[in-house]
Amino acid sequence: MANNVLELKNITMQFGGVLAVDNFSIEVKQNEIVAIIGPNGAGKTTAFNCITGIYPPTSGKVFFEDKLIVSSQPSKKMQSIYAGSNKDFPEEKVCLTPDKITKLGMARTFQNIRLFKTQTVFENVLIATHLHQKCNVFSAVFRLNHLQERAMQKHAMKMLEVVGLADVKDELATSLPYGQQRRLEIARALATKPKLLLLDEPAAGMNPQETAELSQFIKQVKEHFNLTVLLIEHHMDLVMSISDRIYVIDFGRLIAHGTPQQVQDDPKVIAAYLGEDEE
Amino acid sequence: MKVLKFSLSFLLVVLAVFLLYFSINALDLSALLEDIVPLEVMQQDAGLEKAVKRINDSLSDDNQEKTLRNLNRLLDDFADKIHLDTKTKLDLFFYLNNKVTLALALFVFILSVALTSSALLKQQKHQRAILMAVLISMLYSGIYIVENLVGSNSMLMTVLKKGAIYALLAVSMNLLNGFTGLFSLGQAGFMLIGAYTYAIFTIEPSSRAQVYQYYQGGIIQFTLPVTVAIILAGLAAAFFAFLIGLPVLRLKSDYLAIATLGFAEIIRAIFQYDGLGPITNGSNLLRKFTTFNTALFPFAVSGICIALIALLIHSTYGRSFKAIRDDEVAAETMGINLFFHKQLAFVISSFFAGIGGALLAMYQTTVQAAAFTSAMTYEILLIVVIGGMGSISGSVLASFLFVASSEWWLRFLDNVTYIGSFKVPLLRSGFRMVVFSVIIMAVVLFYRKGIMGDKEFSLKRLMEPRKGGKRRG
Repeated sequence: MANNVLELKNITMQFGGVLAVDNFSIEVKQNEIVAIIGPNGAGKTTAFNCITGIYPPTSGKVFFEDKLIVSSQPSKKMQSIYAGSNKDFPEEKVCLTPDKITKLGMARTFQNIRLFKTQTVFENVLIATHLHQKCNVFSAVFRLNHLQERAMQKHAMKMLEVVGLADVKDELATSLPYGQQRRLEIARALATKPKLLLLDEPAAGMNPQETAELSQFIKQVKEHFNLTVLLIEHHMDLVMSISDRIYVIDFGRLIAHGTPQQVQDDPKVIAAYLGEDEE
Repeated sequence: MKVLKFSLSFLLVVLAVFLLYFSINALDLSALLEDIVPLEVMQQDAGLEKAVKRINDSLSDDNQEKTLRNLNRLLDDFADKIHLDTKTKLDLFFYLNNKVTLALALFVFILSVALTSSALLKQQKHQRAILMAVLISMLYSGIYIVENLVGSNSMLMTVLKKGAIYALLAVSMNLLNGFTGLFSLGQAGFMLIGAYTYAIFTIEPSSRAQVYQYYQGGIIQFTLPVTVAIILAGLAAAFFAFLIGLPVLRLKSDYLAIATLGFAEIIRAIFQYDGLGPITNGSNLLRKFTTFNTALFPFAVSGICIALIALLIHSTYGRSFKAIRDDEVAAETMGINLFFHKQLAFVISSFFAGIGGALLAMYQTTVQAAAFTSAMTYEILLIVVIGGMGSISGSVLASFLFVASSEWWLRFLDNVTYIGSFKVPLLRSGFRMVVFSVIIMAVVLFYRKGIMGDKEFSLKRLMEPRKGGKRRG
C-alpha cells in the first residue's frame, strides 16, 4: 500500500439493528478521482462520516497516507449481537476527532450544505484557515500575529478567486444562489490546505448544465492543487465523466468496483439501480 | 474647508490654554483669599478673621474637603461684608470648579488635536480612528465633568456606575451565549468568586478583627494592591471555570444551562459554609475593603475589559467561536478543535465575569454570598437578550437602559401616588417588577433580535452608508 492516500479496511457501521455499512473496504491512490455510488440509503454518507471521524465505526480501520486514523472495536455486547464475517476485531481503539483529521490534510463538503450562516463569504473561507495558525490567544488579542493574519486573509482571498467568488466576498454566505454555495463549500474545504478532498454529493440539486460545469470545475481544482478526490454522487453523467475508478455500494455492501466502463456493464450494478426481475 | 478646520482648531487651542491658565492660576487659595477678604476688612471683624484663619488652617492640613466647606461657609455667612470685583469672582469660580474646568480644558484640547489631524489625514480609516478616540475621551471627560457637577452620590452617577459594571458582565456573558453559542447560566457563580476574591484580599489588616469577628480575625492577614486583587479575582473565576468546563462543556444546550446553573448554586452554598469561615467569613458580610469613589474607575476597568473582549472577537479565535455557534459539525470538520475553543471561551468569559464581580463588590461596598442568586444571572441574560445576542454594543447599551429603568425611571411605579384626591390604581410596592416583566415579554415576543440584533455600532456604517439600497431592513 505504498501510494495509497486513503484506505478503508472492513469498515462496519451499525446503528442499533441497522447495518448501514457492512464490511466496506476501498483504496484511493494518489491523484485519482474516485467515486462511491449507490442508491439512496446505501450507506455512502455513513462511510464518509466514518472516514472523517464524525462518528467512529462499529469496527474496521481507516488509514490516511499509511497512518492509522480510525480504528474501532465493538463493545462486548455488540460483539455478541453482531456476527459479521469479520471476526478478528482490532485490538487498539483509535479515533481521531474531525479537526485532527482535517489537520492531517483531509477536507470535506456536506450533502446538505453547512455554511456558517451569519458570516460573509470571505469570513467563511477565513475560518477554515484558522487550523494552521500558530499564535496563542494573547498574541491574537493584541494583534501580534498581524503578519500571519494578513497571510491568512491572502490565502482565503486566493481560494475565493480560484472558485470564482471573489466579487461576492462581502455578501452573506446564505444569500448566495445554491450553485455558488456549493462552490463556497469547496473553497472553504480547499482553504484548509488538504491533500484529499471528499465531496459529498456535490451536484445534488443541480441542473444538467450546472453539473457539466461542476465536473469541469472539479477537474480544474484537482489539477490546480494536485489533489486526490473522493466523491459520492447520484448523477451518473458526472461520475462517469470524471472518475478514474468507481465503487458501487448497495445496502451497505460493496457490490462492484472498477473503471466507469466496467461498472456500467456489471449486471449487479444494473440490478441494484434498475431492480431485478423477479422469478 | 481645511482653512476652516485649522482656524477652528486654533481657536479651540486658545480656549484650552485660557481655561488651563485660569484653572492653574486659581489653585493658590491663600492669594485668592487676600483678594476676597482685604486686610482692612478682616481687621474690622473678628468673626471674619476667625473664618479666614479656619480656611488657612485646613489648607495647611491639605484637607481639601474641609477647605471647601469652610470657604462655602465664609461666603454664605459674610455675603453682605464681602464685595467681590469681577476678576476675583472669576478666580473664585475657577477655584470652586477646578476639576471641571481642567477636564474641560483637556477635552477642548483633544478636540482641537482631532480637528487638526482630520484636516491633515487623508485616509478614511485614520479619520475614523481619530473620531473614535475623540468619542472615547469625550465620554470619559464628560463623565468626570458631570460627576463633579451633580455629585458622586446622585442617582445619575449611581446608574452610570452600576451600568458600567453591568455592561462588562453582560458583554462577558454575551461572549459565551451570543458569540460561542454555549447557553451557560453560571454567571452569578463566577461573579461571586470574583467579588469574594477581591474583597478578601483588600480588607485592611487593622479592620480584619472587626470584619471576621466570629472567626478570630480570619487567617489572611495581608492586603494586596487593588489592581492585583482585581486581576486575581478574574483569575480565580477563570480557574474555577476551567475545572467546571472539563466535564460540563461536553454537554449541549439545555443540559449545559442546567449544569452551570447548578454549579452557581453550589458555589453560593460553599461560600456560606461555616467551615470556610476564616476565609470567607461564613454567611456574614464582608466589608471595609477598598472601594472606588469616582465613576471613572468602573468606567475605565469595564472599558478596558470590553475593548479586550472586542479585540478577541475580531481575532481569528473569535471567528472560530462564531463558527462553532453557527454550525458545530462544520466547524469541527474545518479543523477547529471544539473542546479547546469552547473551554477557551468559557474560561475567558468567566475571567471577565470575575472582574465584573469584583467591581460589583466595590460598588456595593459590602459582599454577601446570599445575594448572588440565579436571579442575578437572569438579569444579565435579559440584558444580553434585549441588547441582541452577538452584539457587544447592544449589550452595553441595554445594560445602561436596564439599570436606569430598574433603579430610576420605573421607581415611581413603586410609590402610592395621589392625583388630587384620586389614588392612582395599581401603583404600589412591587408593581415596578410587574411592568418590567411585561416589557421583557414584549421584547422577547415581538422584538426577538433585541436592540442591535447581531450588528455592531460602527462609525464606518454611519460615515459611509452603503450605496444601492442594500442596507439591512
